Amino acid sequence: MTPLLEVTRLSIAFGGLRAVQDFNLALAAGDLQGLIGPNGAGKTTVFNLLTGVYRPDAGEIRLAGRRLDGLRPFQIARAGLARTFQASRLLADLSVADNVRVGAQLRTRPSLLGTVLRTRRHRATEGDIEARTRRLLETFGLAERCDELARHLPYGDQRRLEMARALATQPRVLLLDEPAAGMNPQEKLALRELIRRVRREFGVTILLIEHDMSVVMSICETVTVLDYGVTIARGTPPEVQGDPGVIEAYLGVAAQTRGPGGGA
Amino acid sequence: MSAAAHRDGPPAVWAHAWRSGAPLLVAVGVGLLMHFAVQPAVGAFKARVLVDIGINVILAVSLTLVNGFTGQFSIGHAGFMALGGYAAGALSYYGSYQLFGAAAFNGGVLSWTASQGPFHGPWVGGGDLLFVAACLVGGLVAAGAGYLVGLPSLRLRGDYLAIVTLGFGEIVRVVLQSTQTQLSQAAEVAATPWPLLTLKLGGALGFIGLPFYTTLFWVYLAVALTLTVAIRLKRSSYGRAFLAIREDEVAAEALGVHTTRYKVRAFVLAAFLAGVAGALYAHLVGSINAGELGFQKSFEVVIMVVLGGMGSVSGSTLAAIVLTLLPELLRTVTGSVNTYLPPAYELPDLRMIIYSLALILMMILRPQGFFGLREIWDWRVRRRPRPA
Amino acid sequence: MDTQSIDPLMKLVQTLLDGFAVGGMYALIALGYTMVYGILKFINFAHSDVFTLGAWVSWGLAARALRLEGAADAGGTPVWAVPVVLLGAMLLCGTVGFLIERLAYKPLRAAPRLNVLITAIGVSLLLQNVGQLRVVFGPYPKSMPALLPDVTLLYVAGVRVPVVDVLVIGLPLVLMLGLEWLIFRTRVGLAMRAVSYNTQTAALMGVNVNRVISFTFVLGSALAAAAGFLYALKYVGLKQPADTTWVMLGLKAFVAAVVGGIGNVRGAMLGGFAIGLLEFLGVAYLEPLYRDVYVFAVLILVLLLRPAGILGRAAVEKV
Repeated sequence: MTPLLEVTRLSIAFGGLRAVQDFNLALAAGDLQGLIGPNGAGKTTVFNLLTGVYRPDAGEIRLAGRRLDGLRPFQIARAGLARTFQASRLLADLSVADNVRVGAQLRTRPSLLGTVLRTRRHRATEGDIEARTRRLLETFGLAERCDELARHLPYGDQRRLEMARALATQPRVLLLDEPAAGMNPQEKLALRELIRRVRREFGVTILLIEHDMSVVMSICETVTVLDYGVTIARGTPPEVQGDPGVIEAYLGVAAQTRGPGGGA
Repeated sequence: MSAAAHRDGPPAVWAHAWRSGAPLLVAVGVGLLMHFAVQPAVGAFKARVLVDIGINVILAVSLTLVNGFTGQFSIGHAGFMALGGYAAGALSYYGSYQLFGAAAFNGGVLSWTASQGPFHGPWVGGGDLLFVAACLVGGLVAAGAGYLVGLPSLRLRGDYLAIVTLGFGEIVRVVLQSTQTQLSQAAEVAATPWPLLTLKLGGALGFIGLPFYTTLFWVYLAVALTLTVAIRLKRSSYGRAFLAIREDEVAAEALGVHTTRYKVRAFVLAAFLAGVAGALYAHLVGSINAGELGFQKSFEVVIMVVLGGMGSVSGSTLAAIVLTLLPELLRTVTGSVNTYLPPAYELPDLRMIIYSLALILMMILRPQGFFGLREIWDWRVRRRPRPA
Repeated sequence: MDTQSIDPLMKLVQTLLDGFAVGGMYALIALGYTMVYGILKFINFAHSDVFTLGAWVSWGLAARALRLEGAADAGGTPVWAVPVVLLGAMLLCGTVGFLIERLAYKPLRAAPRLNVLITAIGVSLLLQNVGQLRVVFGPYPKSMPALLPDVTLLYVAGVRVPVVDVLVIGLPLVLMLGLEWLIFRTRVGLAMRAVSYNTQTAALMGVNVNRVISFTFVLGSALAAAAGFLYALKYVGLKQPADTTWVMLGLKAFVAAVVGGIGNVRGAMLGGFAIGLLEFLGVAYLEPLYRDVYVFAVLILVLLLRPAGILGRAAVEKV
């Protein structure tokens, strides 16, 4: 069986720094995989490569057999790969509902004339977007706040809105970039539940970057570990946790505080 | 959407047609009202101020599409206005020679300003059609330029883009000011092919002798249509794509918004409307001079958009109204104060000083402008208590 | 540019001379744009008006100096007035630059760049229109009194080089050498470079960032004032403060900064001369009407093909 998302030998260098090197990944439909690694290991760079923010120097990305590398981010989103961002990138001055609507309108082709004349087709599409937006807002418990500006949401709601918005694009694969960052233990528990539920209800395949081991180890079936842009381990959570290389990578960070890692 | 829209049968069709076309009827209605009721009632001077207001509203709202909705920063809007005015002028001026033998008025009652005297003519004349065609051509030529200016916006942001748009506006001014002397003999015009006529636009002296067609009717028809376009865009997928780019380009792309295409579209649309405004202006004054449409004019429009609210259609409309009236008001005030002052101490024209101070203070106190992204009617919605 | 039938060599020399003269002024103004951009990452739109102010202040001081000397009846030209007027203009514009930064830009340190740009446009309009007030410079063009005798210093290939031209070409070079020394050889210069490289780190290292920013504005404004002084001396006729001519000159200097690589001091100098020469070569050998078009065409080309300019570094946006 060919995997839904297949990444082979993906590499990129910034100047002399090899940020990601020969990265391979295979996500089967319905998978929930994790991508972990110390700060600066290249996790977010992998996401940026997958979603077309950066162009890879080498390697291939295939979604259901279709080449994605070299496409622009909006084309990749249309192909069915959606993402959230590590630092929230909500459309801050738009309403909560509008944030979801922008995602929900992905597969519509609005025409200027249709919009200005409010043709029947236009109204049908907008009604469709509206209905899907409502459903998502309810699923994520944001329906009551739908008219508030995204910037006024509490932090936890903002993270959930990011997910809702990404799901509104009706993706086949969802990339989550540190969804648990800044959450308290209760919120993290709820997040685990939410991620499982999203996979169940929306039928998406999920790749998760996470710093919080409790979240990754409890919900992911397979975990890939990156260090300095190189894959150092892959396996089930217990396998990875027992891997000496992984322990060294993490403990090494704790013990000797590796240079100025930078946010990515 | 209400249930009525889904029901089949003739009533639904009519309801649907009404929903789509109501603004057009309203636009024509407003235009007729302004032309036949307001114009005779207020007199020539106030009517002229109302026309100026209308043209400025079109300019400010069109720039809102770029600077407000899409978050790009164009400060060369007057360049599009100039292009539209010249293109429209070329069509109506030389077109009038070819159709009617002279660049004279050939319109109907809708294009006749009451203060010019009693009107004895048809309801609609051939000149009206020529004028409408000229306005559309003016808009299209400007839109073409808008496409060209939109392209750099794909690679440049913020202040760099601003400088490029400013440079564009200045290039347009210089090029229009170096066109050839215009022809004013019917025989000459008849003997010259169109491609050459478009090069003879008066040069540094300006393009003069254009027929007067712009009345309150046409201006407010255009204003109503512009507002309809802007408001309907804002509340639709199309407009949300613009707004998403303004908020965060990377996020917009990740959500599938074709950012480059929408940026260019915003420029094209805004340029079209500015071109129409230029066409209206040219046929109001009877001439157009690119020298008067340099960056000072562009800045005036930017000030309207910034003060009114970056992204607020009603806000920039209101700002356009206030900032068109303000100079008149100031002139009255300083005029009456100056009658009591000795000549050496007379108050000067304070308009631009007040504008610039307002701009600086606004950025410190309320950077999003008076209305921000909101519309005037949004306030009512916001104050409604939220269900707990 | 006098006649058509001019000797080709003389025409070329004259063109190069004109280009260098105006290029030096562009370079001086461009330095102000580039230094502010280097530190605050925004285009100080009001900088061109500081240049205008420099020219007008020079006019005001020169007129006063002549009155002191009683030169109007004596017919003599007070050469001592040259340094006095120059320094006076630099001092006054430096002060204005300081005030602009403190009052208009400092409250917006954390604001989006667009807001700062709009403020800068506001400051620019304010300076222009305050300058037009009758109590300031008035709304009419004025003519700069001659401070230097009309003496020919030398001939280059038959082209007369008056003493004014020597000053106009020489002074920018002297000032730029001074600036080089200041930026690369002194503690203040080190602080400026540190703030430009990374403001936060510089602040953590104990650099007084606010003072460095103020100093940069004063320095840039003083250089623009020197350019204004030279402009008034060479071209004599001063258009009213809100006239388009001034903004165009300032914009061309900005183009020079971009072409050289904005944020790069040596780039600004290089760009200034490049734009000055380009403009005058275009006027002399192509269509003189399009002198502004050449400059903006170059701007658009550079921005599209090499946005970082000749000497600049490209920046990558972080996601």
